[in-house]
Amino acid sequence: MIELNGVAKTFDGAIHALQDVTFSVPTGSVCGLLGHNGAGKTTAIKILSTLLRPTSGRAVVAGYDVVRDPDRVRESIGTTGQVTALDWELTGRENLVLFGRLRGMRRKDAHLRADVLIDQFDMEDAADRRVITYSVGMMRRIDIAAALVVSPKVLFLDEPTTGLDPRSRRAVWDTVASLSAQGTTVLLTTQYLEEADALSDSIVVIDHGRVVANGTAEELKRRVRFSYCTVSPVNPADLSRIWAAVADLKDAQCDDESNTVSVPAPDGVVTFAEVFRRVDQIGVELADISLRKPSLDEVFMHLTGNVTT
Amino acid sequence: MTAIAALTGRIIRRTLRDDLPFAILATAGIFGFFNFALRNVIDTGQTNYAQYVLPVIIIQVTFLGALTTVDRAAQDQLSGFGAGIRTLPVPVVVPLIARMLYCLLRGTLALLSALAAGYLFGFRMGGGFFYTVAFVVLVLLFTLALSLGADATGTGAVRFAIVRTGASSQLLLVPQMLLVMLSTGMAPVDSFPDWLHSFVRYQPVSQVTQSLQGFATGHVSVSNLATSLAWCLGLLVVFGALAVRMQSRTE
Repeated sequence: MIELNGVAKTFDGAIHALQDVTFSVPTGSVCGLLGHNGAGKTTAIKILSTLLRPTSGRAVVAGYDVVRDPDRVRESIGTTGQVTALDWELTGRENLVLFGRLRGMRRKDAHLRADVLIDQFDMEDAADRRVITYSVGMMRRIDIAAALVVSPKVLFLDEPTTGLDPRSRRAVWDTVASLSAQGTTVLLTTQYLEEADALSDSIVVIDHGRVVANGTAEELKRRVRFSYCTVSPVNPADLSRIWAAVADLKDAQCDDESNTVSVPAPDGVVTFAEVFRRVDQIGVELADISLRKPSLDEVFMHLTGNVTT
Repeated sequence: MTAIAALTGRIIRRTLRDDLPFAILATAGIFGFFNFALRNVIDTGQTNYAQYVLPVIIIQVTFLGALTTVDRAAQDQLSGFGAGIRTLPVPVVVPLIARMLYCLLRGTLALLSALAAGYLFGFRMGGGFFYTVAFVVLVLLFTLALSLGADATGTGAVRFAIVRTGASSQLLLVPQMLLVMLSTGMAPVDSFPDWLHSFVRYQPVSQVTQSLQGFATGHVSVSNLATSLAWCLGLLVVFGALAVRMQSRTE
């Protein structure tokens, strides 16, 4: 169980990293803290893992207040930051043993636990190499393993998949899902809606230090009530012509990668008709034109007020 | 206890290939260099120069050891590993204690190396068992005091660019050079200009090396010993308090 109530953090009296942040994560569930770089995600994680004190407000982790009972909080949590907590000069195995010993395990127990984790995280080949020789994906894996040396009640993952290839990302997702199934409460930060959507029972969207939305992925999608009208030409070269024809419509966006132009359609079919009329006039051959529900990314852009490409 | 042992073990593991061998080789090397370079230059009366200079070499090496502590403390403060430890149920002073235990180990090895090299060139521990014990204890006291100061510097300086560029050990380079070069450990006080005499005579390096020279020959003056101990204990308390304070800061 994690609870934040009116948490604020101000640096140097002037920089408001967090303002009046309130949300809670029920025991055993996964919450995705979603926001851009600099939105305040890491500050929130640092406060919850006792690395920073809140300027005001109250934060409770696993039943303990982070300011009044930091030692109890530390006993209950596992953390992985954006920078791994590993000692790069030691091997993966030595790191796991070290973290076990730092948690008060006897040498023998720490070795046994390290063996189990190495097996579980499929790291047999790399366990006895120094961490500095690892790929980013391997570092993340052993870093998460180190946070699990003693099963934590609450696990904080700060951008656990940043910089990972799709396969390693999938491995991290599987780990989070199985931990949550075992009753661990997980709070993870991410810049990717797709990730928050795939992993989380609830999503908290944070922007400029404030919570701008809070709910399940479905609830968030419902908050953006209108649909989007999407157009895609048969010949990708025509995309710019379509863009030129509809660019003046509010918040229209052009995406070369998916070969589409998207226009928010608050008036539904009326907007659709307008777009169709304009595209028809310039005589471009279309592969598709349709009215669809907003994607999570569009919801995110809408909620944080950053409609830029 | 487990945590202290684990963290001290970690530092030793990391330094086995660089800092520890360096502590041993550099100590013998620096002594050899000064002994050859200065033994016919500096007049120490009837005392042979090896006997005269070895204590200040030990102090010099203690300073060099302290400089590496600045880096280690800064690294532990800045690195992900350091942050990781602060989220564990481990008291905040534990990493500091581990670094200090390592400094004492390093200091002991350097001392042994210095004594071995000194014996080759005519240094003798002539005061008997208790003076030898006093010699070792004073060196380790001074080592601990300096290491605490260096640790506080490294931890406290992390907000400055010099630490982030990995050059933090330079911070104490100038003060340590001044203290060692302008001390009676290098040359008798008459070799220095008059206006420097009182500084040279009473500064900690001079007083401590004089006590060490005394312990080595078996004659030590009470007033000098009292000043040395006052310096060591005073620095220990001040730097110790600073080092602990630096550790327990949370923004």
